[in-house]
Amino acid sequence: MSVDPAADPDLVGRMRLGDESALEALYARYGGLVYTLALRIVGDPELAREVVQDTFLRSWDGRETYDARRGRVPWWLMGIARNRAIDLLRSRSHQARMRERTAPLPEIPTTLPRDPVDAVVSRRAVLDALRELSEGQRRAIELAYYGGLTQTEIANELGEPLGTIKSRTREALERLRKVLGPLIQAAGGRTS
Amino acid sequence: MIDSSEHVVDDLAAYALGSLETGEHARVDEHVAGCPSCASRLAEYRGLAGALPLALAPISPPSDLWDAIRSEARRQRLRPRMRSAMGTRWFRAAPWIAAAVVATWLVTWNVRLQSELTRYTQGPQVEKLARRPARLVILTGAAGSQASARVFAAVDGQSGHMAITGLARLPAGRVYQLWFLPKAGPALTAATFTVDADGRAWVVIRVPADLDDTRGLIVTEEAAPGSPAPTGPPLLEARQWR
Repeated sequence: MSVDPAADPDLVGRMRLGDESALEALYARYGGLVYTLALRIVGDPELAREVVQDTFLRSWDGRETYDARRGRVPWWLMGIARNRAIDLLRSRSHQARMRERTAPLPEIPTTLPRDPVDAVVSRRAVLDALRELSEGQRRAIELAYYGGLTQTEIANELGEPLGTIKSRTREALERLRKVLGPLIQAAGGRTS
Repeated sequence: MIDSSEHVVDDLAAYALGSLETGEHARVDEHVAGCPSCASRLAEYRGLAGALPLALAPISPPSDLWDAIRSEARRQRLRPRMRSAMGTRWFRAAPWIAAAVVATWLVTWNVRLQSELTRYTQGPQVEKLARRPARLVILTGAAGSQASARVFAAVDGQSGHMAITGLARLPAGRVYQLWFLPKAGPALTAATFTVDADGRAWVVIRVPADLDDTRGLIVTEEAAPGSPAPTGPPLLEARQWR
């Protein structure tokens, strides 16, 4: 039995037919990225493991609901993983949550790991785009995405007006969109 | 028709990042359902949010994690679904057949991983190129094509590199060719290449013209070993970059 190098939507199509090897192929492609994201959010290898497991089980359960018009398969998986990780984060003790909130922002790595070239190139593009954000913009989107804080919570955390946080978040994504938009679209994220 | 004043632009970013207050989701959902422009923007924002983890230094998952997922999937969910989708024939098979399939999957899994690592890990060369100051150009495929390429043109020299995905494998005697289209003068060749069975390639290129003096980058299909000028239609194209 071979694992076909099929395109992501094809894998989901095979999953819909009950083909377990397609789920395995999906894990082979994105398991590492999901684990990296989960570990960044929950900060605990055992919890990250739980997140990855839940993510792929949910992707199997939710394979009928995946809608390619809403974005690429990896973005779908990242959404599942992020939400599950945030759920776990929120279920932890207040002290643990505060440690997460005050954890230093992820450092931009100075050495790139040895991994698939496309991932290296994509990482470089995203890192470059993030560097173009102001510190305030970067912090706002990281507290939102990795910290799981609502806009109101971010405003309280940073001592800034809610309106400022909302506009700063939008400006950050707009800036990223201008830089990374072609990358997202090239990767199949067209919306229509 | 939705009045532009009703757009929920400020909330779309927070929504995509999962940072909107719980009670505000319904309002945004309702608006997006009837507003194509906001729906389109939200999809883009979701794509950006999904791309954020790419910036993280990758960490390998535990080696036994897939086994755990597979076991749990079969225990909880896969078995009834598989039975429903495929009938009971597979599950009536003797246990040793199932064990053989599992073993095959494991071997395939390991071979696949090893293959990926061997194919794409080019060690110091990749890392060195990826760290150099460079400008990024993203080439996209013609309408309906999922092909794309990313060119990194080093700002400190005449070389760069390009990652390509989604191109069809070519027959013998044919190659893909990357061209720089100067604002003045004929197209300049930057690389010729073929793609692997997955439609991917990693190519070190020469940068024949400054990007500021270039109006476009294209990839065409040509006769091997390459043409002095493009003869085919652009299969990948970029007309603007930063």
